[in-house]
Amino acid sequence: MSWLSRLLSNRADVSSLDTALRETLTQWHMLPAPDLNKSHFETRYVVVNTEATGANVARDRLLSVAAIAINRELVVSADSLYASLEPDPATALTNLLSFVGNDPVVVFNSAFNRKMLEHAFSQQLGIDPEWTWIDLYWVLGELFPVMPAQGARLAEWMRLFDIETFQRHHALGDAFAIAQLMLAVQSKARSRGIYTPSSLSELEQRIRREAAQ
Amino acid sequence: MFAANMIQARYCSNRYNRWPFSLEITAMVASAPEMLIGASTDFLRRFSPFSQMEVEALQFLASRLELSFHQAGSDILTPEMGPPEHFFVVQRGKVLARQAGLAANAELAILPLGPGECFPIGAISANRPSANTYIAAEDSFIFRLPAADFRHLMQLSPVFHLFCTHYIASLLHQSRQQLQTTFAQRAAEQQTMTTSLHKLIKHPAISVSPDTPTRKVVELMAETRVGSMIIVDESAHPCGILTKSDVLTRILLAGFDLSRPVSEVMTNGPHTMMASASAYDAALAMATHGVRHLLIVDAEDRFLGVVSERDLFSLQRISLRQIRASIDSASDTDGLKRASDDIRQLALNLLAQGVGAEQLTQFISALNDALTCRILGLERERHQLGDIDFAWLAFGSEGRHEQTLSTDQDNGIIFVCPDPTLRNEMQARLLAFARSVNESLAACGFPLCTGNIMASNPELCLPLEQWQSRFDQWMREPEPQALLNASIFFDYRVIYGNQRLGDKLRNWLNRNAKKFSNFLRMMAENALTVAPPIGRIRDFVLEDDGTIDLKKSGARLFVDVARILALRVEVASSSTVQRLREAGGRMGVLGDEMSAIIDGFHFIQLLRLRAQCLDAERAESERLGDNKIKPDDLNELDRRILKEAFRQARKLQLRLKLDYQL
Repeated sequence: MSWLSRLLSNRADVSSLDTALRETLTQWHMLPAPDLNKSHFETRYVVVNTEATGANVARDRLLSVAAIAINRELVVSADSLYASLEPDPATALTNLLSFVGNDPVVVFNSAFNRKMLEHAFSQQLGIDPEWTWIDLYWVLGELFPVMPAQGARLAEWMRLFDIETFQRHHALGDAFAIAQLMLAVQSKARSRGIYTPSSLSELEQRIRREAAQ
Repeated sequence: MFAANMIQARYCSNRYNRWPFSLEITAMVASAPEMLIGASTDFLRRFSPFSQMEVEALQFLASRLELSFHQAGSDILTPEMGPPEHFFVVQRGKVLARQAGLAANAELAILPLGPGECFPIGAISANRPSANTYIAAEDSFIFRLPAADFRHLMQLSPVFHLFCTHYIASLLHQSRQQLQTTFAQRAAEQQTMTTSLHKLIKHPAISVSPDTPTRKVVELMAETRVGSMIIVDESAHPCGILTKSDVLTRILLAGFDLSRPVSEVMTNGPHTMMASASAYDAALAMATHGVRHLLIVDAEDRFLGVVSERDLFSLQRISLRQIRASIDSASDTDGLKRASDDIRQLALNLLAQGVGAEQLTQFISALNDALTCRILGLERERHQLGDIDFAWLAFGSEGRHEQTLSTDQDNGIIFVCPDPTLRNEMQARLLAFARSVNESLAACGFPLCTGNIMASNPELCLPLEQWQSRFDQWMREPEPQALLNASIFFDYRVIYGNQRLGDKLRNWLNRNAKKFSNFLRMMAENALTVAPPIGRIRDFVLEDDGTIDLKKSGARLFVDVARILALRVEVASSSTVQRLREAGGRMGVLGDEMSAIIDGFHFIQLLRLRAQCLDAERAESERLGDNKIKPDDLNELDRRILKEAFRQARKLQLRLKLDYQL
């Protein structure tokens, strides 16, 4: 039984919890499943990026989380989030949860990113969000076959598109670069007949499978 | 553990989140929207007009921008979309603006826009469909601002408002300010309005203490012939001033007791200014406070001396007046040569003071005229011209009052020949005279014309009737050489001798040119053979040596069209700007539209002058040559204005093209 369900099942420690947080988690649980068959233009994607003390899930800690929404194929500064895990990881993660909702999540080279984040969600909030993750690391090479091979680093894609950000290796700074790449991906995907989040996700999974073989 | 952590969290509503029940920590560090807005602000600040924009307005703009992506080849804005719903700023990539209805002339009608450039301006301001189609030329990231926010920004920011309403003029203004800064350093040794007051104090400071008897003060003023006496306290801080007019009104007329101390009659708290301030600051302070004197003090507020309004005025005019005086008093070529060097130096100073191209080229032309007249006067004394009635003509840029710093000679003579049998004898005397003048001009820094377009050429020293028949022939049979001649000789102006001879020829020309519609048409065709050097892919099309020739592919574009328009609607002036203004008015071109074209011409002229000044400072081997610039050497702002100026040239050419159905 997860921490949250214990919480919601009126266990003794409920009274000591903050109402607003609890409320948010409850509402998140009640969100309807996302419709992944709408067009990109009707979809709100959320770019998520994290910063951690290192690359070891077991030993290292998450330091901060950042998210930038791409709604109707636009990036608007106001629709963004940055939160440091300290001193209050539960609130930071709840805020991220509330920001993302159930929208498809966009990341770059997420294997580690995602593990770290899922670990934190489970630890702090006792939940395992079942998000649709789309990793641009796989998608970009397919849509823009200019790089010699799969697996170009973020810096290389930024250079190719002449993308700038205000600070590299900062959770939000890199998220901004990824968001700009996602704008290009949406547009390019559309011209390849990939109109929806679900088909974009399928593309990502196909390439990932092919790479694994 | 959970509860304990919650204590520090504060909640506020966030209108951007989609859930009404969401919560957010108000963190100590900048929030994500603040950081992203900051990133947009930093980007915008690199480009004009955003770099000049008020902080609050820039913040507003950055917070309202939406970033979008446009694939190469996709439409961003078209006339069919109706009044634009957004104002766009290119973030990365390249956008092409194509004038609607001119798709066939794609090369002529395309303007590339790069990072920091924005569109549409006119259409969104006037809430009408865009006249251009904007297409992404490469994969481009474009910021967009909703139309309502655009209008709000116009109200919020005077800078942005000015930018939108006077697009090219506002860019030019900024460029001139930058130019001023660049050249101020070079002209620093010269006395200009940037001179520090310290250097302007002419007389040693004369001052008295507050308890000095008034009689003593008045006596001292009479003795030293100073216009005003300064009263300083024991630490040498100025505490009062007594001027000549005070003596009259407060002492003499008021019957003031002259044994009383001066402190009772002086004006307290005189205006002071630090010696490190500039002459310009002083002029401003005098104008603001309505005073004629300023007390100059050091950093400890100790009195150093007085600077009067007159000191400043003489400073402003000294160089111009001096040059003029030295020209008029020169008795030989050596003296005139020095004056000619001074003209160049003055041009540099004026450039440094931010004087615009129009005034600058007029100054240069005026002084060159004076110099030429002086040479003509001196040579006339040495030659036996008797009572020959003649006029000395200047052609080309000199004829148009548009001389820059490097102009070779283009001149001729028109004379009255009452008796055909005397023609050759009169011409011979004038030719000898002209030869001396051409040589003297060459000695004064106006190189001989390599094409022999000079008064000493028998072909160009002719009676009025012969000039008329030559022009007549060119217009009747407009073969290439005739067209070239027309472009040189039509821009003539009398600078010495009988002005009426020139007027007669001009009247005759204006009456007759219109008859030869084929000639005008071919002139137009000829004018259109050179296109503005704007590229589709790169910003500029360069010559093989990587430069742009601002005369050949810049100024000439305007000059040629202006000449044709002037001939068509009978404008008497030979100046390009005057021709454009007058012809534009008669042809019903909107005033604003013509002003923008003229601004474009001025900017190119300014760049030429600047390039000439800079080139003169370079080592011989590194010189680019007259009128040549490397666009990469220009700063971002100037590159943009140059592009805009070329665009204006293209507009002017398009007009001609439509008029003549070419």
